[in-house]
Amino acid sequence: MRLRLPMLALSGLIFAVNARADVSLEYAVKAAYIPKFIPFITWPDAAFAAPNAPVTICVLGADPFGGKLEQTAGELKSGDRAIVVRYLPAPDASVSCQVIFMGKGDETIAEGALDAVKGKPVVTVTDSGLKAHGMISFVVAANHVRFDIDEAAAAQGGVAISSKLLGLARAVKPRGQP
Amino acid sequence: MTGRSWSPSTIAALIAAAILLTAGVLMAIYQERLYSGQQVKSVREQAEILAASATAAILFGDHSAAQEYVDALRTNPELLGVAVYGANGRLMAGFARGTQLPERLATPQVDPGPGYIDIAVPAGSKGTRAGMVLLRAVTEPAERRFIRYAGLILLVTMGALVIAVLSLAQAQLSRRHQQLASVNARLHDEMEERRKTEDALRQSHKMEAIGQLSGGIAHDFNNLIMIVKGNLRLLRRKLGEDHVPAATYITSADEALDRAAYLTQRILAFSRRQPLTPQRINLSALAEGLSELLRHSVGEKVEISLRLNSAWPILCDINQMENVILNLAINARDAMPRGGRLVIETSDVSLTRPPPELESQNFLPGDYASLTVIDTGVGMSEDVRRRAVDPFFTTKPQGKGTGLGLSMTFGFVRQSGGYLMLESAPGKGTAVTILMPRNQEEAE
Repeated sequence: MRLRLPMLALSGLIFAVNARADVSLEYAVKAAYIPKFIPFITWPDAAFAAPNAPVTICVLGADPFGGKLEQTAGELKSGDRAIVVRYLPAPDASVSCQVIFMGKGDETIAEGALDAVKGKPVVTVTDSGLKAHGMISFVVAANHVRFDIDEAAAAQGGVAISSKLLGLARAVKPRGQP
Repeated sequence: MTGRSWSPSTIAALIAAAILLTAGVLMAIYQERLYSGQQVKSVREQAEILAASATAAILFGDHSAAQEYVDALRTNPELLGVAVYGANGRLMAGFARGTQLPERLATPQVDPGPGYIDIAVPAGSKGTRAGMVLLRAVTEPAERRFIRYAGLILLVTMGALVIAVLSLAQAQLSRRHQQLASVNARLHDEMEERRKTEDALRQSHKMEAIGQLSGGIAHDFNNLIMIVKGNLRLLRRKLGEDHVPAATYITSADEALDRAAYLTQRILAFSRRQPLTPQRINLSALAEGLSELLRHSVGEKVEISLRLNSAWPILCDINQMENVILNLAINARDAMPRGGRLVIETSDVSLTRPPPELESQNFLPGDYASLTVIDTGVGMSEDVRRRAVDPFFTTKPQGKGTGLGLSMTFGFVRQSGGYLMLESAPGKGTAVTILMPRNQEEAE
C-alpha cells in the first residue's frame, strides 16, 4: 500500500511556528527534522570511511540551532551508524560530511559549497530564505516548517531518498528532470 | 442370528462411519487452525505495510499524513480499528468501529480479545524506531465458524448415516435370506416326505392289485387242481394197485399236484382269500408255546430270547399265526448264517396316530398287540426292504425260497385286520413287527 498523494501537506504538524515568530522554536523544529531525514537516505558505501563510521552532519557557518542539533542527533541512529554533528566555519574538503546544512547568511558561501559537493554523495540541506536550494530545502509556509526535495540532485550525487520521505515533502523535483 | 445382534459388516460399517466423522472433525479443526494462522499472518502483513508507509509521517509527527495512511484501511471491513502511535507511545492517528483503541502503545504484541485480535508492529527505518502501528481485526465468532464447517460436518454425518443404514439393510437382507433358505429347506423336506408317502401308497395299491389278480387265479387254479386230483384218485382206483408203472406216474403227478396246491394256498394267503378260523388268543402265550419249536428250527448258532409283555387278547387263526412266527424266525435265521441273536418281543400299544411306515395305509387308531421279530443279521437295503413283501421277490438262491413267505404273512395279517412293518438297514439287522388289533369282547 503506497500512498501517492500529491504534495502531502504537513498541515497537522504540532511544531507550528506561531505568529510571534519565535526563531528558536522554528530552529528547534528544524533541529528535530535534520537527523530524522537520515534513516530515509541511503548513501553509497564509498561515502563512508568504514562500514560502521558515523553519519556526519556538517553545519556550515554559524550555528542557528543553539546546540539543539547535537541533542536530537544523539537520540537517533541510522542502521549501525551513529549520527554526529560538526561545525565548519567554511567549506573544508578534508572533513568527510554526509549531510551539509547551510544556514541563512552568505549566499555565495552556500552556492560555493553546493558547487563544491555537486555530484558527490553529500546530502545538502538549505535553510529557508536562501536562494540556493540543496537536495532538501526548508520552507516556512503558513507558519509551518516544511521541506522540498530535489530528487534529481540527490540521484546525481548517488544518494537515494526513500519514497516514505518523499511522501512527506511539500514539493518533489523528480529524477530525470533538468 | 437374532434380530438384535449386530453382524460383523454392520459393526465394520459403524466403525467406518465413526472414523469418517472423526476425520471430518479433525479436518475442520485443522482448517480452523490454518485459517486463524493465515488471518494473523494476513493482518500482520497489513500492519507491516502500514508501518513501512507511515514511518516518515510518524517520525516527523505528521498527524494528518498518518491519518491519511490509516484512513486508507477503512475500506477493509475486517479491521475494527487501526491506530498509529508515536515514538513516545501516544496515539497519533487512527479510527475505530465500535471498539476502544488503547491511548498508549509502545511494544509490539499479538493480543487476542473478545471477537477480535490486536496485532501491533513497530514502525521505523534503518533501526530508528518511529512508533507503533496497531491493527484490530475481527475474528469470526464461534457460531459463524461452526456454520462454515456445518456443511462439511453435515456431509460427513450424512455419509456415516448412509453407511450405517446400508449396512443395517444388508443385515436385514441377509436375515431374510436365511429365513427364506430355511423355509425352502422345509419345503424340500415336505416334498421328499410326500414323495415317499406317494411311493408307499403306490406300493400299497400295487400289492392290492397283485393280491386280487393272483388270488382270483389261485382260487380257480385250486379248483382245477382239486378236479385233477379227484380224477387221479379215480384213475388209481380203476387201475388197481397192481398196475405198478401207472401207479408210479400217478403218485408222481399227485405229489406235483400237492405242491401246486401248497403254492396256491400261499397265494391265497397273500391275497387274503384263504379260509381262516379266527380264535381269541394272546400273542405272548402263542410265542411261548412256539419257543421250543423255534429253537429247533433256528439251530444252535442263533440265540433266542423272548420278551413277552403283551396281555391283550387278539382274534386270529392260530395255525396261520404260528406259521407266520415260524416263517419270520426262519427268515431271521437265514439272515444270520454265522449265528447271532433273535429276539421275539410282544407288547401292548395304544396308537392314536399311525406309525410313519403305515401312514399311507388306512390305519385305524386304537389298541394293538404287537409282536416283533428282531435279528442281528445282514439287514436289507432300502430298495430291498420296500420290495420285501412283493410276491415271488426273494434274495435267497434259486430253489431255496419261493418268495412268498413275507407276502403270505402280509396277506394274512391284513386279512386279520392287522398291520405289518419292516425296519432294517444293511448290517444293522431287521425288525419285523406285526400289529394285531386288540379284541374288545368280554372274556368268557
